[in-house]
Amino acid sequence: MIKSSTDVIGIIFPNSYDDLVPELVSVRLMASIPFASRYRIIDFILSSMTHAGIDNISVVVNKNYHSLMDHLGAGREWDLVRKNGGLHIFPPFAEKQVGGPYVGRAGALANLLGFLKSQKEKYVVMSDTNVVVNFDFNAMLRAHMDSGADLTIAYNEQELPKELLDYQTNDRIFYYTFDIEQGRIRKVSINPKTAGVQNTSMNIFVIERELLIELVSNAYMEGRSFFMRDVIMPQLGKLNIQAYKYTGYVARISGMKSYFEENMKLLDDYNLDALFSAAPIYTKIRGDNPTHYKDGAKVQNVMMADGCVIEGEVENSVIFRGVKVGKGARIKNCILMQDTVVEAGASVEYLITDKNVTISAGKEMKGTDTFPVYIEKYKTV
Amino acid sequence: MAKEMIAMLLAGGQGSRLYALTDKLAKPAVPFGGKYRIIDFPLSNCVNSGIDTVGILTQYQPLELNEYIGNGQPWDLDRLYGGVHVLPPYQKAHGSDWYKGTANAIYQNISFIERYDPKYVVILSGDQICKQDYSDFLEFHKEKNAEFSVAVMEVPWEEAPRFGLMVADENDKITEFQEKPKNPKSNLASMGIYIFNWDILKQYLEEDEADPNSENDFGNNIIPNLLRDNRQMYAYRFSGYWKDVGTISSLWEANMEVLDPEHSGIDLFDEDWKIYSRNTGMTGHKINAGAVVENAMITDGCRIKGTVKHSILFGGVKVEAGAVVEDAVVMGGTTIKAGAVVKHCIVAENVTIGENAVVGAMPTEEEKGVATIGSGVTIGDGVVVGPSAMVRENVEGGEVG
Repeated sequence: MIKSSTDVIGIIFPNSYDDLVPELVSVRLMASIPFASRYRIIDFILSSMTHAGIDNISVVVNKNYHSLMDHLGAGREWDLVRKNGGLHIFPPFAEKQVGGPYVGRAGALANLLGFLKSQKEKYVVMSDTNVVVNFDFNAMLRAHMDSGADLTIAYNEQELPKELLDYQTNDRIFYYTFDIEQGRIRKVSINPKTAGVQNTSMNIFVIERELLIELVSNAYMEGRSFFMRDVIMPQLGKLNIQAYKYTGYVARISGMKSYFEENMKLLDDYNLDALFSAAPIYTKIRGDNPTHYKDGAKVQNVMMADGCVIEGEVENSVIFRGVKVGKGARIKNCILMQDTVVEAGASVEYLITDKNVTISAGKEMKGTDTFPVYIEKYKTV
Repeated sequence: MAKEMIAMLLAGGQGSRLYALTDKLAKPAVPFGGKYRIIDFPLSNCVNSGIDTVGILTQYQPLELNEYIGNGQPWDLDRLYGGVHVLPPYQKAHGSDWYKGTANAIYQNISFIERYDPKYVVILSGDQICKQDYSDFLEFHKEKNAEFSVAVMEVPWEEAPRFGLMVADENDKITEFQEKPKNPKSNLASMGIYIFNWDILKQYLEEDEADPNSENDFGNNIIPNLLRDNRQMYAYRFSGYWKDVGTISSLWEANMEVLDPEHSGIDLFDEDWKIYSRNTGMTGHKINAGAVVENAMITDGCRIKGTVKHSILFGGVKVEAGAVVEDAVVMGGTTIKAGAVVKHCIVAENVTIGENAVVGAMPTEEEKGVATIGSGVTIGDGVVVGPSAMVRENVEGGEVG
C-alpha cells in the first residue's frame, strides 16, 4: 500500500447511465442493481476504493435513491464507519448554493463544491457504477503520479456492446472512446459507431482536488453540465490528460441484454475467478441461512446465494438470496433476484425476475436469449 | 440505569470430548449448520429475547472465539450501554485465578454484573444448539415469584440417568435435584440454563466462594445449597429443539438434523427467530455442470463439481469432479480433491483431502463411528481413513484408524 492512498477522496455517481436500463431502475438506480447472485453493482467500486485505503467516499445521488440508501446504511459493511471521512451520501439539496436535481457529472460535482473545498486530501478519484470491476485504485494513482498528469482516465480495450452501437438517438451521451498517443489522450469520441476493439472509457478519473474545484467552478459559472464533453474535452490540448489502461475483468452494463449476459458469463469459473479473486467484494449482510437443496432438486451450472430453498430443477442460472423453487418447477437460463418464488410445477426460461416476484404454480413463461423477459418487483405471474 | 436482566454465557469449557475439533478452538466456537458457530445460538437467542447485555466467560483457547465475537455487531450487540463483553480470568490487586468452576467464573465477575444493576441474571451455556425465548422463561420466573428457575426438558426415562434431573411438584416447584442418578425420580433434565434473582445469586456465590471444600460448580454446589435453604426454585419446561453437542456423534447428528427440519424441529429458515453469524464475505456458491447435489445445505464460496448427498458444506468448500460427499459435515475452506470419497464424518476447517482418498464409511451393524479430521490437516492422495478414526496430523499415505 502506498501512503498517498490515504490522501485521496472517492466520489461515486450512482445515477449515471440509468436510462440504459429503464426497467431495472424503475425502483432504484444503476448503483443498486443486483448483480452476481448477492451483490449490488456499487459494491464493486466501493469495495475497490476501501481496499485502496480510501475511507472518505461521497455518493452523489440524484433521484430514486431509496434502495441505495437502504443498501449502504452507514457504510459499515465496507468498513466506512469512520471518525474522519467515512461514507457521505449527497442528495440534490445537500448544499444551499446550488441545490436541486442535477444534470451530468459536472452538475453533480457543482452540488458538492463546498464539501470539496473543505476537504484536505490532495487527490480525488471518481467513478460511475455501470462498470463492474475489482479495480486496483492504488495502481492507477501510482500511474497518475508517475506520469505527472493533470488528469488520468481509465479505459479498457473492448468492442463496443452491440446495444450501444444500435442505439439510434443521439440526444444523450452514452459512451466515449479515446485516441491515445504515448499514453496521452489526444481525442475523445462521443457515441462513435466504429466497429472493432476500441479504447473505451471506463469513466474512472484521478485528478487533484484543487484542479477539480477550479474546473467544476468554471463549468458551473458557464452553465455546463457534462464533465467529459464540457469540462475535459476543451482541455485536451492544454492539460496533460493521461489514459490508464485497465487489463482486468470488466463487465459493462449497457442495457438489459448485456445485464443478462454479464451475469451469465460468471457461470464460467474462469470469469468468476477473474472478477473476484483480486480482493473480496463486500455487500450488505442479510443474515440468510445456507441454501437448502431438498430431495428432488436437480441443479446444473448455477451460481446461487444463501437463503434459497430448492426443490425443483435449475439450470444455467444466477439465483439471488432467498429464492424459493417449488417441487417439479423448472428454471433454465434465468436470473432470479432476491426472494423470487417459483411455485411447484412452473416452468420458466430466459426470464429476469426482479425482487419478490412470484411465478404461480404450473405457469409457463419463456423469453429468448436475445430478448429475456423481465418481470418487475412484487408482481405475481 | 438498571437493566432488568443480563446474560452470562459460560464459554470456557475445553470440550475435550470433541477431540480434534477443539485442539485449537474453544467449544462454543466450533462451526455448526453450514455458516454458524455454536455460540451464535445463545447470542441470537439473547438478542431475539430482548437481552442486550451479555458477558461471555472464556478461558480455554479464547483467541478465535474472541476474534469471532469482536464488538458483537453481527448479533446487534454493539451497544452504547451493555452489549457483548468477553470476560477472561484476569489479574487482580490481590492475586489472580483461573476460573475454578462455573460458579467461580460468575463470582469473579460480580463487579461486571453490578455495573448494570440487574434484577435478574440468566446463566447460559455455550455448548448447546437450541432456539429459546428467554423472555418467556423470565415471565415464568416472575409469575412463580421464583428466586431461581431452571429450564428443563422431558427426556425418555431410559436416558434420564445421563442427566442432572429436577424433581418437581405439580406447581413445577423443585423439591429435589439428582445428578446422573441410577434410579431417576424424574425425567426433567436440566438444560443448564438458569434464571436467578441477582441478589440471591450474589449471596450464594459469595457463600460458595468462602467454602474451601466447594467445587464452585452450579450443579454440584449452588443448586444443592439453594435446595438446602428451601429457596423458591422452579422448573421451566421447554419443549423446542435442544441438543447438547458435546460429543462428535451428537455434533454430527445435530448437523444432519438441520437437513430435516420437518422432523427434527430445528428450523434455520425461521424468519421470526433468526440465528445470526459473522459473515465470510464470499461470493455466491457455484454448482457446475456434471455436479450432483441432493438434500444438502450449501453456502457462499462453495464450488461443487462432484457429488454431494445429505451433507452440510460450510463457506468456501471445494468438491472436485468425481469426488463423493455423503452424510458428511465439511467445514469452511476445505478442499476435497478429484475422486475422493468422504462419508459419514466430520471434516474440520481448511483440510485437504487428496485425490482418491477415502474418509469414513457409511455405518454398518458393527461400526457406527463418525470419522473426524482436525483443522488444517492434509490427507494424502489415496489414503484410507477408517470409519471411527480421529485424525489430528497430516497423513501422507497408507491407512488410518
